[in-house]
Amino acid sequence: MTAFYLGSAVFLLANVAIALLRVLRGPTAADRMLSGELMGTTAVALLLLLYGATGVEALLDVALVFALLAAMAVITFVRRTWPEDPAADSEKEDP
Amino acid sequence: MRALPSHTVFDRGSGDPAMTLLHTAFDALLLLSMIVLAWQGVHARNMFRAVVSFMMFGLLTAVAWVRLEAPDIALAEAALGAGLTGALLLATLGRLEGDVSIERASRRAVRIPLPWAALGLVGATSLLAVALALPAPGLGGRVQEAMPAAGIDAPVTAVLLNFRSWDTLLEIAVMLLAVIALWSLGRDVLASPSRLPAPALPALVRLLFPLFILSTFYLLWRGGYGPGGAFPAGALLAAGLVLALLAGARVPKRVTGAPLRWALAAGLLAFLVVALAVMAESGVFFAYPEDYAPLLIAVVEIAAGLSIGVMLTALFLGGEPVSGDPVGGDPVGGDR
Repeated sequence: MTAFYLGSAVFLLANVAIALLRVLRGPTAADRMLSGELMGTTAVALLLLLYGATGVEALLDVALVFALLAAMAVITFVRRTWPEDPAADSEKEDP
Repeated sequence: MRALPSHTVFDRGSGDPAMTLLHTAFDALLLLSMIVLAWQGVHARNMFRAVVSFMMFGLLTAVAWVRLEAPDIALAEAALGAGLTGALLLATLGRLEGDVSIERASRRAVRIPLPWAALGLVGATSLLAVALALPAPGLGGRVQEAMPAAGIDAPVTAVLLNFRSWDTLLEIAVMLLAVIALWSLGRDVLASPSRLPAPALPALVRLLFPLFILSTFYLLWRGGYGPGGAFPAGALLAAGLVLALLAGARVPKRVTGAPLRWALAAGLLAFLVVALAVMAESGVFFAYPEDYAPLLIAVVEIAAGLSIGVMLTALFLGGEPVSGDPVGGDPVGGDR
């Protein structure tokens, strides 16, 4: 069972690594933010899987904190950072 | 007394090649993503990209601490690094002039001269050599020896609030100084209008807020037995308060002014009062008498946790809320 938990964790982490491409390429701020949110959700799953693999109970607390704070970034983004004109947000000359 | 985490917990597959491969793959992916994110966070020309990279870096750092068998630090990183710092940075970006995808002025790649690169390499190698030469458990053994006198079961909390209380006291003092400095710069900036109407947000926050408060006290209580304690608890409390502010809540008129200032200073004051009181008893600053140690640590921890929560929220506010002013910007759901 430990192998299954760890294998799933590796798969999720690979998933996140691919999501990094969306952060790199954008093109809009919302794309990047959503990629970050995917990461937040995945981190909760990762920690729970690591708990399954190791049985360290403190990981459940870390997962709880992550789950509670997942909404934080996106709400701040929507309320404070949302670009005035989303269409003008795409990058033109970024390599 | 809790034993130090044994090194068989993350045993690297105990010889099973498939398990070893999985462990290695996980660590390699984690490391690679962290390096990419760190580079992005520092070098991305697009500010928003840098901020998102930094937030994701914080999340992965917490996972890395878990891999390094340091759940206490993972907890603090999760609460402070990944949650609150991200919100602070995003709010700051929103305050900057112009678009969020504001570009940095200079786009020239940093060129490191060869001699410096060589020196850096030598420095990094010697650091690595020193790190490898250090005795494996660090100060863990000495902490374990002193634990019976700590008056608390969790080694990390014992270090923070008993053996090295000085450091924690000064950390809290630094946070308070930061709030004072920020507040002296001007009034609160949350009065800036919200960018998007979010009609469902108040309902969500009403649902979540009690959970934040509950988890705050859970982590405070948990700090007595294992990973937890004042800093993560304070960060969770602050996160709940910041969410409420973002949903359009206002700082109630009766808390602005003196009550708020007392709340900000409560952690530092409780710490100092306890330290001086035990000094009257034993003659040494912060030398808790063994019988009262659990009680005193609990008092300091609760006061520090609540105070840290209020201080972090104050940092998010960016200035002293003026009595009766709407703090959350326009009413929830209103247009910008």
